[in-house]
Amino acid sequence: METIFAYLPPRTDPPAGGTPPGLRAAIQPCLSVAEWPTDAGSPALADYTAWEDATAVNRLRQAGAALVGLTRTGEFGLGLNGSQAGMAVRSGAADLELVIDLTGESRLAAARAGICGFKTSWGIVSRYGLIGLIPSMECCGVLAGGVPPIREFLRAAAGPDERDFSLPDEETLDFSGGRIDAGETTVGVVTEALDSLTPEARGAFADSLSALTAAGFTLREVSIPDFPLFSLVHQIVGAVEASSSAGRYDSVRYGRRAAGAKNWNEMYLLSRGAAFGTLLKSYLFQGAFFQFQAYGAYDNACHLRARLLAAMATATAQADFLVLPGENPSAPATAVTPEDIYAQFSFTAFANVTGQPALYLPPPTGEARPGWQLTGPRRSDARLLAVGESLQGIRQGGK
Amino acid sequence: MEFEAVIGLEIHIELNCPTKMFCDCPNDPAAEPNANTCPICLWFPGAIPRFSQAALEKAALLCLALGAELQPRSAFDQKVYYYPDLPKGYQLSQAHLPLSRGGGIDITDEDGTQKRLRIHHIHMEEDVAKLVHEMEGRTPISLVDFNRAGAPLVEIVTEPDFRTPHHAMEFLKALRTQVRYAGASECSMENGTMRVDANISVRPRGTEQMNTKVEVKNMNSVRHVGDAIAYEIGRQSASVQAGEEVVLHTRLWDPDKKATFPMRAKFEGPCIPDPAVPVIELSPAWIETMRSRLPEMPTVRAERFMARYGLTGEEATYLSADPELASYFEALIEAGIAPRTAMHWLTTQLAPAVKDRGRELGNSPVSPARLAALLHMLSRDEINAHAAREVLTALFESDAAPEEIVRSRGFRQVSDRDALGELIDQVLAANQAAVEDFRGGQGKAMGFLIGRVMQASEGKANPKIIRELLNDKFAAGSP
Repeated sequence: METIFAYLPPRTDPPAGGTPPGLRAAIQPCLSVAEWPTDAGSPALADYTAWEDATAVNRLRQAGAALVGLTRTGEFGLGLNGSQAGMAVRSGAADLELVIDLTGESRLAAARAGICGFKTSWGIVSRYGLIGLIPSMECCGVLAGGVPPIREFLRAAAGPDERDFSLPDEETLDFSGGRIDAGETTVGVVTEALDSLTPEARGAFADSLSALTAAGFTLREVSIPDFPLFSLVHQIVGAVEASSSAGRYDSVRYGRRAAGAKNWNEMYLLSRGAAFGTLLKSYLFQGAFFQFQAYGAYDNACHLRARLLAAMATATAQADFLVLPGENPSAPATAVTPEDIYAQFSFTAFANVTGQPALYLPPPTGEARPGWQLTGPRRSDARLLAVGESLQGIRQGGK
Repeated sequence: MEFEAVIGLEIHIELNCPTKMFCDCPNDPAAEPNANTCPICLWFPGAIPRFSQAALEKAALLCLALGAELQPRSAFDQKVYYYPDLPKGYQLSQAHLPLSRGGGIDITDEDGTQKRLRIHHIHMEEDVAKLVHEMEGRTPISLVDFNRAGAPLVEIVTEPDFRTPHHAMEFLKALRTQVRYAGASECSMENGTMRVDANISVRPRGTEQMNTKVEVKNMNSVRHVGDAIAYEIGRQSASVQAGEEVVLHTRLWDPDKKATFPMRAKFEGPCIPDPAVPVIELSPAWIETMRSRLPEMPTVRAERFMARYGLTGEEATYLSADPELASYFEALIEAGIAPRTAMHWLTTQLAPAVKDRGRELGNSPVSPARLAALLHMLSRDEINAHAAREVLTALFESDAAPEEIVRSRGFRQVSDRDALGELIDQVLAANQAAVEDFRGGQGKAMGFLIGRVMQASEGKANPKIIRELLNDKFAAGSP
């Protein structure tokens, strides 16, 4: 258990004769849990104890879930280095895991653990209490063995929160489920998303889609010529936001102050330097470079982001949902540079750039076939989960 | 070579909102250190700023009061700098899309001509924490007080239209008056609710070039701003004349040494949009609602005072510079007091008396109604001016009506000619030398005699009637 969890609360026996226990939820410490050491996996927050629950955590608790512990994570949930996300569900220690999804972490962690991973639409679940680096892209991510716990979480957590004014003023989504009629449903396959795959990998992915046609779905090719730019835009905008946001985590208030400084300015600099790992520092340097030395490039990336949003809207309008791979099989298993991270997340970063939902479905148990990543327009979360549930049934050989 | 200065000002004004800009903590930096703090203004991990509607309204009123144009879209950015007074590493400020653009203030130049000093833009931003440096035994310690962190500010950035210290000082005085009128801030440089930085460069007179500027900070009064600018113009002119290059840097004004000294620059870079605070969109209807909430502005009011009440330009400007004073004046007029009497009593008696007692006109026990009642008694000759001043003093100490004070303390003026005649006879008999002086043509002896009669009446006699009776007596040849 210690390999999966960074913190386990003292055991409390369930009240005798009480209500039947709800979901068991493991939380990544990038989401605040009151009075727990929510350090976001960073020495900069080593001594930080959250003063209250993140809204997502609190609503899950209110819905009857039991919090089982804090999972191990890499620094601020960025990338999968050092992350045990997915393993609590896989090992049976939890029914559900909450993580922060900055680049696609919930989907990629699910792919590694062979479970389902869902990134919510930006703005449907409060970000209050999330400790991340890329505020315009980060969302709550959910990992579970199947779709129902994910839906249960969203039923509890989605909706307005007076503590998160960045939430758009929109109606709360209805997560009561829904049936999918394969004969009436078109699945868009993003052509350019497959271009970066090796011929073998592309073939394997195409083969896997035959299950969809067999089930009665209509497949159609959908083109997003700028698809490779999603990662680029994510890297520039994300790194700049991270460089700015990371100022909040200076290590002086909650972490370890570096010794030997001549004055407090130097102490701040040394502490920050000692608190962040090499990979994160490289990422922050990139952000600082774009912010201070190449602001024009950052500005261009922001404009490009608007163009990509429009392109994605056109693509999602051509089908009921889109399917694309989740993992990049040619990416290194461990990231050493920010470029490695973007190689790993080349199929997932788009949803963080646009704010749309995305669901990773694993291949049938015991099969080496690739998993699927499903996506639709922003706020199509409920329908996407319904589709996911239906497809999971098909993939597992059910109906 | 003769030089002229090119000066622009950056003015921070703390808005007098009840709460901070991004949380519900009281906006009271003077409270017990760190008493007014919460997870948002302490910038705890996971907290999300929550923009205050009250701050927006005050800031909008301030912009409108300065003739600025509110922008339909404005937004907050992250202004990155690392210093212990800003532990989150960035300040929320409107760098790319400010709340308003344009506006300006008309001042009277030293030669009497009118000059327009333009405002480039006005943006909102949050204040940072306050650092306190102390000694713990022999160890120097630095403490951070977050009461001020997140306090609502606006920054007014002017065009480089200023040429002299006079321009800057007149601009600041007028700005202060207008912002106080709008009810947006106390605007006190002494208390730190208005902070002014000046960007100054020099160039040969008659040229249009823009040279390297130097920023000067740390002026604690309008006078210091003038002094610092004058010093800096002299310093830069001398160094240019000596063939030295002016380099971009920041200097601090030292009011004791009356000089500016270079300071270490703060690291600052370009701002990036903040994704947590929503974009602010102002509808034309909302802007009009704000405009309708703006009171009559001081220059308009001064003109009205001159036209309607016959005040001089100087009197009207003086009264209208202070919204409380101007309202008080109008309340007296409404209560039926003649404008000149109201002006005179307000500026020479009441205002100094309030100030002596360390109070504000607004919370003084001498309400316009009470002062008006007193002045009515004066104009009806029921009391004399001397007694009126005594009653005014009494009004600060008692809740009683002025009429009651006059009655209970026996201030009522004696206008009974027979009674006064008797007093006069006694005074003349006792002051024969003065009587002779007056007869000998020394007119001031009359004043002396009137004074003696007033004294004999314990200040209650009607001085007009004393003078009449004395004149009558001298004319009749008696005494």
